[in-house]
Amino acid sequence: MSGNGAGGSRPDGRDSSQPRPDGRDPSEPRPASEGWAYLSYLIGGMALYGLVGWLIGRWTGLPWLFGVGMVLGLASAVALIIFRVTRS
Amino acid sequence: MSDVAVSMPAEGCHIFSGCGYPAPSITDFYFRPIFTIGSFQFTKPMLLAIVSGAIVVTFFFVAFRKPKIVPRGAQNVGELGVLFVRDQILRPQLGKEGDKYLPFLVSIFFFVWVMNLFGIIPLIDFPATSRIAFPAGLAFIVWVTYITIGMRAKGPIGYFRAMAIPQGAPWWILPLLAPIELFSNILVRPFTLTIRLMANMLAGHLLLLVFGVAAWYLFSASIGLLYATTSFLLTIILTGLEVLIQALQAFIFATLTAFYIADAKQTAH
Repeated sequence: MSGNGAGGSRPDGRDSSQPRPDGRDPSEPRPASEGWAYLSYLIGGMALYGLVGWLIGRWTGLPWLFGVGMVLGLASAVALIIFRVTRS
Repeated sequence: MSDVAVSMPAEGCHIFSGCGYPAPSITDFYFRPIFTIGSFQFTKPMLLAIVSGAIVVTFFFVAFRKPKIVPRGAQNVGELGVLFVRDQILRPQLGKEGDKYLPFLVSIFFFVWVMNLFGIIPLIDFPATSRIAFPAGLAFIVWVTYITIGMRAKGPIGYFRAMAIPQGAPWWILPLLAPIELFSNILVRPFTLTIRLMANMLAGHLLLLVFGVAAWYLFSASIGLLYATTSFLLTIILTGLEVLIQALQAFIFATLTAFYIADAKQTAH
Protein backbone atom coordinates (compact mmCIF):
# COMPACT_ATOMS: atom_id res chain seq x y z
CA MET A 1 0.00 0.00 0.00
CA SER A 2 1.33 3.41 -0.87
CA GLY A 3 -0.44 6.70 -0.39
CA ASN A 4 -0.54 9.51 -2.87
CA GLY A 5 -0.12 12.09 -0.18
CA ALA A 6 -2.99 14.17 -1.48
CA GLY A 7 -5.46 13.29 1.26
CA GLY A 8 -9.12 12.67 0.54
CA SER A 9 -9.21 9.64 -1.76
CA ARG A 10 -7.12 6.81 -0.45
CA PRO A 11 -5.34 3.97 -2.21
CA ASP A 12 -7.32 1.36 -0.31
CA GLY A 13 -10.54 2.84 -1.60
CA ARG A 14 -11.77 4.15 1.72
CA ASP A 15 -12.16 7.79 2.44
CA SER A 16 -13.65 9.84 5.18
CA SER A 17 -17.12 9.84 3.64
CA GLN A 18 -17.38 6.05 3.79
CA PRO A 19 -18.57 4.19 6.87
CA ARG A 20 -15.90 2.99 9.21
CA PRO A 21 -15.17 -0.73 9.27
CA ASP A 22 -16.44 -1.01 12.83
CA GLY A 23 -19.82 0.20 11.66
CA ARG A 24 -19.79 3.49 13.46
CA ASP A 25 -20.87 6.76 12.01
CA PRO A 26 -17.73 8.71 11.00
CA SER A 27 -19.20 11.86 12.48
CA GLU A 28 -19.58 10.14 15.82
CA PRO A 29 -16.87 11.15 18.28
CA ARG A 30 -14.23 8.53 18.88
CA PRO A 31 -14.14 6.96 22.31
CA ALA A 32 -11.79 8.87 24.58
CA SER A 33 -10.07 5.60 25.45
CA GLU A 34 -8.34 5.68 22.08
CA GLY A 35 -6.18 8.38 23.56
CA TRP A 36 -4.80 5.84 26.02
CA ALA A 37 -3.87 3.62 23.14
CA TYR A 38 -1.99 6.31 21.24
CA LEU A 39 0.29 6.78 24.23
CA SER A 40 2.18 3.73 23.06
CA TYR A 41 3.16 5.56 19.87
CA LEU A 42 4.74 8.40 21.84
CA ILE A 43 6.67 6.00 24.04
CA GLY A 44 7.53 3.73 21.14
CA GLY A 45 8.71 6.56 18.92
CA MET A 46 10.95 8.06 21.55
CA ALA A 47 12.33 4.71 22.68
CA LEU A 48 12.99 3.41 19.18
CA TYR A 49 14.61 6.47 17.64
CA GLY A 50 16.25 7.35 20.94
CA LEU A 51 17.92 3.95 20.86
CA VAL A 52 18.91 4.37 17.23
CA GLY A 53 20.29 7.83 17.96
CA TRP A 54 22.18 6.57 20.97
CA LEU A 55 23.71 3.69 19.03
CA ILE A 56 24.76 5.94 16.15
CA GLY A 57 26.02 8.44 18.72
CA ARG A 58 28.20 5.78 20.35
CA TRP A 59 29.47 4.65 16.99
CA THR A 60 30.33 8.12 15.73
CA GLY A 61 31.31 9.59 19.08
CA LEU A 62 28.60 12.24 18.94
CA PRO A 63 26.55 11.72 22.12
CA TRP A 64 24.05 14.47 21.29
CA LEU A 65 22.60 12.24 18.56
CA PHE A 66 20.70 10.52 21.37
CA GLY A 67 18.71 13.72 21.95
CA VAL A 68 18.21 14.21 18.24
CA GLY A 69 16.85 10.67 18.01
CA MET A 70 14.46 11.23 20.89
CA VAL A 71 13.09 14.45 19.40
CA LEU A 72 12.84 12.87 15.95
CA GLY A 73 11.00 9.90 17.44
CA LEU A 74 8.60 12.11 19.33
CA ALA A 75 7.90 14.24 16.26
CA SER A 76 7.33 11.14 14.11
CA ALA A 77 5.01 9.68 16.73
CA VAL A 78 2.96 12.86 16.82
CA ALA A 79 2.76 12.83 13.01
CA LEU A 80 1.72 9.17 13.10
CA ILE A 81 -1.04 9.88 15.60
CA ILE A 82 -2.31 12.78 13.49
CA PHE A 83 -2.44 10.57 10.39
CA ARG A 84 -4.20 7.80 12.27
CA VAL A 85 -6.77 10.01 13.95
CA THR A 86 -7.65 12.04 10.88
CA ARG A 87 -7.79 9.14 8.46
CA SER A 88 -11.42 8.24 9.05
CA MET B 1 12.70 -12.02 49.72
CA SER B 2 13.01 -12.75 53.40
CA ASP B 3 11.26 -9.59 54.51
CA VAL B 4 7.67 -9.78 55.61
CA ALA B 5 5.40 -6.95 54.62
CA VAL B 6 5.40 -4.69 57.63
CA SER B 7 2.41 -2.42 57.45
CA MET B 8 2.86 -1.55 61.12
CA PRO B 9 6.20 -0.62 62.62
CA ALA B 10 7.45 -2.29 65.74
CA GLU B 11 5.30 -1.60 68.76
CA GLY B 12 6.27 1.40 70.79
CA CYS B 13 8.03 3.00 67.87
CA HIS B 14 6.60 6.47 68.08
CA ILE B 15 7.83 9.99 67.54
CA PHE B 16 9.98 11.52 70.33
CA SER B 17 10.93 8.06 71.60
CA GLY B 18 14.23 8.04 69.79
CA CYS B 19 12.77 5.98 67.01
CA GLY B 20 13.02 7.11 63.41
CA TYR B 21 10.10 6.98 61.00
CA PRO B 22 10.01 3.43 59.66
CA ALA B 23 9.42 4.52 56.08
CA PRO B 24 7.61 2.01 53.91
CA SER B 25 9.65 0.85 50.98
CA ILE B 26 9.64 -1.62 48.16
CA THR B 27 10.48 -4.37 50.63
CA ASP B 28 6.88 -4.09 51.83
CA PHE B 29 5.95 -5.74 48.56
CA TYR B 30 7.96 -8.86 49.30
CA PHE B 31 6.40 -11.55 51.41
CA ARG B 32 7.64 -14.50 53.37
CA PRO B 33 6.36 -17.57 51.52
CA ILE B 34 3.27 -19.20 52.97
CA PHE B 35 4.66 -22.58 51.98
CA THR B 36 7.46 -23.85 49.82
CA ILE B 37 7.58 -26.73 47.38
CA GLY B 38 11.18 -27.34 46.40
CA SER B 39 12.38 -23.98 45.14
CA PHE B 40 8.84 -22.77 44.49
CA GLN B 41 7.65 -20.28 47.05
CA PHE B 42 3.95 -19.72 47.41
CA THR B 43 3.34 -16.15 48.60
CA LYS B 44 0.46 -13.92 49.58
CA PRO B 45 0.09 -12.20 46.17
CA MET B 46 -0.28 -15.61 44.50
CA LEU B 47 -2.91 -16.59 47.02
CA LEU B 48 -4.73 -13.31 46.40
CA ALA B 49 -4.68 -13.83 42.65
CA ILE B 50 -6.12 -17.32 43.03
CA VAL B 51 -8.76 -16.06 45.44
CA SER B 52 -9.66 -13.23 43.02
CA GLY B 53 -10.13 -15.70 40.23
CA ALA B 54 -12.21 -17.93 42.48
CA ILE B 55 -14.37 -15.00 43.59
CA VAL B 56 -15.07 -13.87 40.03
CA VAL B 57 -15.81 -17.40 38.78
CA THR B 58 -17.98 -18.27 41.76
CA PHE B 59 -19.90 -15.02 41.63
CA PHE B 60 -20.80 -15.29 37.96
CA PHE B 61 -21.52 -18.98 38.30
CA VAL B 62 -23.96 -18.34 41.14
CA ALA B 63 -25.43 -15.30 39.41
CA PHE B 64 -26.22 -17.05 36.14
CA ARG B 65 -26.75 -20.61 37.33
CA LYS B 66 -30.52 -20.38 36.97
CA PRO B 67 -31.10 -17.24 34.93
CA LYS B 68 -34.59 -15.80 35.16
CA ILE B 69 -36.29 -13.38 32.81
CA VAL B 70 -36.80 -10.98 35.68
CA PRO B 71 -33.44 -11.03 37.42
CA ARG B 72 -33.23 -11.05 41.18
CA GLY B 73 -30.41 -10.94 43.69
CA ALA B 74 -27.01 -11.96 42.42
CA GLN B 75 -28.25 -12.26 38.85
CA ASN B 76 -29.26 -8.60 39.00
CA VAL B 77 -25.78 -7.52 40.06
CA GLY B 78 -24.16 -9.88 37.59
CA GLU B 79 -26.21 -8.50 34.71
CA LEU B 80 -25.35 -4.99 35.78
CA GLY B 81 -21.66 -5.88 35.63
CA VAL B 82 -21.85 -7.65 32.29
CA LEU B 83 -23.94 -4.90 30.74
CA PHE B 84 -21.51 -2.29 32.03
CA VAL B 85 -18.62 -4.04 30.32
CA ARG B 86 -20.68 -4.52 27.15
CA ASP B 87 -21.97 -0.96 26.86
CA GLN B 88 -19.07 1.03 28.26
CA ILE B 89 -16.05 -1.02 27.19
CA LEU B 90 -16.91 -3.39 24.35
CA ARG B 91 -19.54 -1.66 22.21
CA PRO B 92 -17.77 1.71 21.82
CA GLN B 93 -14.74 -0.10 20.38
CA LEU B 94 -15.99 -3.21 18.66
CA GLY B 95 -19.63 -2.54 17.91
CA LYS B 96 -22.34 -5.18 18.00
CA GLU B 97 -20.40 -7.88 16.15
CA GLY B 98 -17.75 -7.71 18.87
CA ASP B 99 -20.11 -9.27 21.39
CA LYS B 100 -18.32 -12.61 21.03
CA TYR B 101 -15.42 -11.08 22.95
CA LEU B 102 -17.69 -10.16 25.86
CA PRO B 103 -16.77 -13.16 28.07
CA PHE B 104 -13.08 -12.38 27.62
CA LEU B 105 -13.49 -8.71 28.51
CA VAL B 106 -15.82 -9.40 31.44
CA SER B 107 -13.28 -11.86 32.85
CA ILE B 108 -10.39 -9.44 32.42
CA PHE B 109 -12.24 -6.48 33.89
CA PHE B 110 -13.55 -8.24 36.98
CA PHE B 111 -10.40 -10.24 37.62
CA VAL B 112 -8.25 -7.12 37.54
CA TRP B 113 -10.76 -5.14 39.56
CA VAL B 114 -11.00 -7.71 42.35
CA MET B 115 -7.22 -8.07 42.48
CA ASN B 116 -6.98 -4.28 42.77
CA LEU B 117 -9.72 -4.11 45.38
CA PHE B 118 -7.73 -6.31 47.75
CA GLY B 119 -5.55 -3.26 48.27
CA ILE B 120 -8.14 -1.57 50.46
CA ILE B 121 -9.93 -4.52 52.03
CA PRO B 122 -8.99 -4.57 55.72
CA LEU B 123 -6.71 -7.41 56.87
CA ILE B 124 -5.83 -8.21 53.26
CA ASP B 125 -4.49 -4.78 52.34
CA PHE B 126 -2.51 -5.77 49.31
CA PRO B 127 -3.34 -5.29 45.64
CA ALA B 128 -2.04 -8.39 43.88
CA THR B 129 -1.64 -6.34 40.69
CA SER B 130 1.12 -4.30 42.31
CA ARG B 131 3.41 -7.28 41.70
CA ILE B 132 4.39 -7.06 38.07
CA ALA B 133 3.92 -10.73 37.27
CA PHE B 134 0.14 -10.52 37.36
CA PRO B 135 -0.35 -7.53 35.05
CA ALA B 136 2.42 -8.92 32.84
CA GLY B 137 0.69 -12.29 32.59
CA LEU B 138 -2.61 -10.66 31.74
CA ALA B 139 -0.96 -8.35 29.22
CA PHE B 140 0.65 -11.40 27.61
CA ILE B 141 -2.76 -13.06 27.26
CA VAL B 142 -4.13 -9.86 25.71
CA TRP B 143 -1.11 -9.67 23.38
CA VAL B 144 -1.52 -13.24 22.18
CA THR B 145 -5.26 -12.65 21.76
CA TYR B 146 -5.08 -9.56 19.59
CA ILE B 147 -2.23 -10.88 17.47
CA THR B 148 -4.12 -14.14 16.91
CA ILE B 149 -7.27 -12.25 15.97
CA GLY B 150 -5.32 -10.06 13.57
CA MET B 151 -3.63 -13.05 11.94
CA ARG B 152 -6.86 -14.94 11.58
CA ALA B 153 -8.54 -11.95 9.99
CA LYS B 154 -5.77 -11.16 7.55
CA GLY B 155 -3.25 -13.99 7.51
CA PRO B 156 0.18 -13.77 9.21
CA ILE B 157 1.97 -11.82 6.49
CA GLY B 158 -0.95 -9.56 5.73
CA TYR B 159 -1.39 -8.80 9.40
CA PHE B 160 2.22 -7.82 9.92
CA ARG B 161 2.11 -5.75 6.78
CA ALA B 162 -1.00 -4.00 7.98
CA MET B 163 0.58 -3.56 11.38
CA ALA B 164 3.75 -2.00 10.01
CA ILE B 165 2.15 0.40 7.56
CA PRO B 166 0.18 3.14 9.24
CA GLN B 167 -2.94 4.00 7.33
CA GLY B 168 -3.49 7.51 6.12
CA ALA B 169 0.17 8.48 6.09
CA PRO B 170 1.69 9.79 2.85
CA TRP B 171 4.23 7.41 1.31
CA TRP B 172 7.30 9.60 1.70
CA ILE B 173 7.07 9.57 5.48
CA LEU B 174 6.44 5.82 5.76
CA PRO B 175 10.10 4.82 6.27
CA LEU B 176 10.07 7.00 9.36
CA LEU B 177 6.68 5.94 10.70
CA ALA B 178 6.53 2.24 9.88
CA PRO B 179 9.16 1.23 12.48
CA ILE B 180 7.28 3.15 15.16
CA GLU B 181 3.99 1.51 14.24
CA LEU B 182 5.49 -1.97 14.29
CA PHE B 183 7.51 -1.36 17.44
CA SER B 184 4.51 0.16 19.19
CA ASN B 185 2.09 -2.59 18.16
CA ILE B 186 4.32 -5.50 19.01
CA LEU B 187 6.40 -4.35 21.96
CA VAL B 188 5.18 -1.15 23.55
CA ARG B 189 1.51 -2.05 23.85
CA PRO B 190 1.82 -5.03 26.18
CA PHE B 191 4.59 -3.23 28.02
CA THR B 192 2.56 -0.08 28.73
CA LEU B 193 -0.46 -2.19 29.61
CA THR B 194 1.61 -3.94 32.26
CA ILE B 195 3.42 -0.92 33.64
CA ARG B 196 0.34 1.29 33.82
CA LEU B 197 -1.57 -1.15 35.99
CA MET B 198 1.37 -2.23 38.12
CA ALA B 199 2.72 1.28 38.74
CA ASN B 200 -0.69 2.66 39.66
CA MET B 201 -1.35 -0.09 42.16
CA LEU B 202 2.18 0.01 43.57
CA ALA B 203 2.06 3.79 44.02
CA GLY B 204 -1.40 3.64 45.59
CA HIS B 205 -0.39 0.95 48.05
CA LEU B 206 2.79 2.78 48.95
CA LEU B 207 0.85 6.01 49.48
CA LEU B 208 -1.57 4.34 51.86
CA LEU B 209 1.36 2.72 53.68
CA VAL B 210 3.18 6.03 54.07
CA PHE B 211 0.25 7.75 55.74
CA GLY B 212 -1.00 4.69 57.60
CA VAL B 213 2.41 4.03 59.12
CA ALA B 214 2.84 7.75 59.81
CA ALA B 215 -0.46 7.87 61.70
CA TRP B 216 0.81 5.11 63.96
CA TYR B 217 4.30 6.54 64.27
CA LEU B 218 3.16 10.08 65.12
CA PHE B 219 0.64 8.85 67.66
CA SER B 220 1.88 9.99 71.09
CA ALA B 221 0.83 12.23 73.96
CA SER B 222 2.29 15.35 72.37
CA ILE B 223 1.81 17.63 69.40
CA GLY B 224 2.33 14.42 67.45
CA LEU B 225 -1.30 13.55 68.16
CA LEU B 226 -2.40 16.37 65.88
CA TYR B 227 -0.13 15.15 63.11
CA ALA B 228 -1.31 11.59 63.66
CA THR B 229 -4.95 12.66 63.32
CA THR B 230 -4.18 14.52 60.12
CA SER B 231 -2.29 11.57 58.76
CA PHE B 232 -5.10 9.21 59.68
CA LEU B 233 -7.69 11.42 57.97
CA LEU B 234 -5.49 11.54 54.90
CA THR B 235 -5.27 7.76 54.92
CA ILE B 236 -9.06 7.58 54.81
CA ILE B 237 -9.31 10.17 52.04
CA LEU B 238 -6.61 8.40 50.02
CA THR B 239 -8.43 5.11 50.50
CA GLY B 240 -11.41 6.74 48.81
CA LEU B 241 -9.13 7.86 45.99
CA GLU B 242 -7.78 4.33 45.71
CA VAL B 243 -11.30 2.94 45.26
CA LEU B 244 -11.63 5.23 42.27
CA ILE B 245 -8.22 4.42 40.84
CA GLN B 246 -8.66 0.68 41.25
CA ALA B 247 -11.88 0.70 39.28
CA LEU B 248 -10.42 3.12 36.73
CA GLN B 249 -7.32 1.01 36.11
CA ALA B 250 -9.39 -2.13 35.64
CA PHE B 251 -11.58 -0.16 33.24
CA ILE B 252 -8.60 1.16 31.29
CA PHE B 253 -7.04 -2.29 31.09
CA ALA B 254 -10.23 -3.80 29.67
CA THR B 255 -10.86 -0.80 27.40
CA LEU B 256 -7.40 -1.00 25.90
CA THR B 257 -7.85 -4.74 25.39
CA ALA B 258 -11.02 -4.00 23.44
CA PHE B 259 -9.24 -1.29 21.47
CA TYR B 260 -6.34 -3.57 20.56
CA ILE B 261 -8.73 -6.26 19.39
CA ALA B 262 -10.68 -3.72 17.35
CA ASP B 263 -7.44 -2.36 15.90
CA ALA B 264 -6.23 -5.84 14.93
CA LYS B 265 -9.49 -6.48 13.12
CA GLN B 266 -9.64 -3.02 11.61
CA THR B 267 -6.19 -3.02 10.03
CA ALA B 268 -7.35 -6.20 8.34
CA HIS B 269 -9.27 -4.67 5.47
